[in-house]
Amino acid sequence: MKFGELMKILKDVPLKVGIIGLGKMGLLHASILSALGNVRVLGLCEKSRVMRRLSKKFFKGAEVVDDISELSGLGIDAVYVTTPIPSHFSIVTRIFSERIARNWFVEKTLASNYVEAKQLCEMAKCSHGIAMVGYMKRFAVTFRKAKDLIDSQVLGDLVSFDAYAYSSDFAEIKETPKISGARGGVLGDLGSHIVDLAFWFFGSLTLDSAKIGSRGAAGSEDKAIFCVSQADLKGNFSVSWCETQYRMPEFGFIIRGTNGILSVNDDVLEIKLKKGQSERLFRHDLNDNVDFLLGAPEYYREDHHFVRSIIDDTMVESDFISASKVDDLLGQIKNRAEYF
Amino acid sequence: MTNKKPILLVGDNPFHGISHLSQEHSRNRNTEIKNVEYASDLVIKSLENGAGGFMFTVSDTTLSILKEMKKKRRDSQLELYAIVPYASEYVRLATQLGGIMGIAKKIGKEMITSLNFGAIARSIKGISLLDVEDLMKAYLLYEMSKIKSAVGKQTNLVSVILHEIITEMALALDWDWLFKAYIDFVSKHGIKPGFETRNFAFFVKKFKTWDMDCRKILVTTPFNKIGFQMNPSKLECEKALNMVSDFEIIAMSVLAAGYLKPAEAIKYVKSLPNISGVVLGVSREKHARESFKLLRAAFET
Repeated sequence: MKFGELMKILKDVPLKVGIIGLGKMGLLHASILSALGNVRVLGLCEKSRVMRRLSKKFFKGAEVVDDISELSGLGIDAVYVTTPIPSHFSIVTRIFSERIARNWFVEKTLASNYVEAKQLCEMAKCSHGIAMVGYMKRFAVTFRKAKDLIDSQVLGDLVSFDAYAYSSDFAEIKETPKISGARGGVLGDLGSHIVDLAFWFFGSLTLDSAKIGSRGAAGSEDKAIFCVSQADLKGNFSVSWCETQYRMPEFGFIIRGTNGILSVNDDVLEIKLKKGQSERLFRHDLNDNVDFLLGAPEYYREDHHFVRSIIDDTMVESDFISASKVDDLLGQIKNRAEYF
Repeated sequence: MTNKKPILLVGDNPFHGISHLSQEHSRNRNTEIKNVEYASDLVIKSLENGAGGFMFTVSDTTLSILKEMKKKRRDSQLELYAIVPYASEYVRLATQLGGIMGIAKKIGKEMITSLNFGAIARSIKGISLLDVEDLMKAYLLYEMSKIKSAVGKQTNLVSVILHEIITEMALALDWDWLFKAYIDFVSKHGIKPGFETRNFAFFVKKFKTWDMDCRKILVTTPFNKIGFQMNPSKLECEKALNMVSDFEIIAMSVLAAGYLKPAEAIKYVKSLPNISGVVLGVSREKHARESFKLLRAAFET
């Protein structure tokens, strides 16, 4: 049999996936993966007894277990880790050491800190599989268009940018609950996305200053303001989950270059050049349709990209190395920040 | 369009601060839109200008609007199309309460204290046996009782529509048993079972594969001239539409969230086969007046 024919047969065999953590992100990925024709969700791991019992009804044909070790032996090709951030390191370490699967998708952030993130990068390297982190904003059509425009130097030399990540998740609550820590505070939850986008757009950035605001006695991180630079480029970030009127989390940039200015968020991109040209593009203008929509189109594109990267053995967007850089910057912010 | 009398509904997205064009667009709307009295006046104005009913997600906001309308419109029975659950609010609650189990506890507590004995009995059975169908039925009874207590005994609840997040998950995970149980249960209450989806072609394919009786159901799904949120594509959704003369289909996002002008948007929807009606959100009195007059005129000629 020719190599090409063998590859074709292998590509027709469904990819077997396991999911660890059946919270809302676990269910979302399980659903999207099930809608992809060439994937079978074969194993589910969840600590909650109630969720396990319900999942047996929900996921026919899948093994539902309470311990990661029980996933070994199922012949799983890829594992999704969708548990709270503090557990990512120990879970991926077990997936690696118990050889449960070679290919890993971890919901953001990769780890709780840079030391753990670096160790996970080493494990990914030794595993020789695809290792991706769920920075799904890279798959939003507006941000992809912005990346194309930046890369094609339409803006000329970049001078400065302002970035924000806002939500109203805790706007109406007087004191942020302790469970917000499991989401990585506002920096892990919202800040990580906007930092990841900034690295994707501009490359490495150096932290110049940072402030973190807390509303609760529990020492929660509710707001963060920080400044970065890269040679002549200066950037300011503002992150908060206590803003009013952000029904859905919103991420955005205003980027200034020698040729003009570009503003972009989840919904719309606008570019104004000094020579007079300007353009405003909504999602509507940027071919935002997907084969299966659940939550937002970027979730489908992200899962599709991960699966295709495994099948085609190609480089993955948002790999462990790039995600570890986000953890590094977030760690620096926490270490160096003034608290208010 | 079908030959039957068109179903023209006023939608509630603006009242929840939703704009699928952009969040900025929603923030820039007039601030009165979140005022219950203003919102109820807009619905009434839409009804006076050609709308035949109100499609809404069951939430504190919309139930307050219904209560307000009841005070103002004692004369008539408003046709109601209720979407459950209010998924985006539950997603936010999951963030605040610590995930899915946190929400389940909150809803369970609300159901027990709702004094709807049917819902209480079913939820006790559902929880003790962890029976998903019983839990779903208990939840539906609870939501229907909330509508009845807001509107009164003369409620004309035409359809209860499963929110897109549940519909899409159930489609992806092949939960044909859930669709069947839902259709049977809602139908038994003399209400049309409905489904909201942004994967219309996938929905039709699954329902045909499962050999479901589609004469009983209503589907609300995007149809607009630019194919916005018509997944996987405008062409595939139009092809699927040609195959479903037995569904009752309400087109949503006909203006593509304000991207299209009403006249061109309506011309496109009117040209489609098998569409039973349209749902349209309005945020100003002028929109309510003009849009529904235009719709009524277009669909009655």
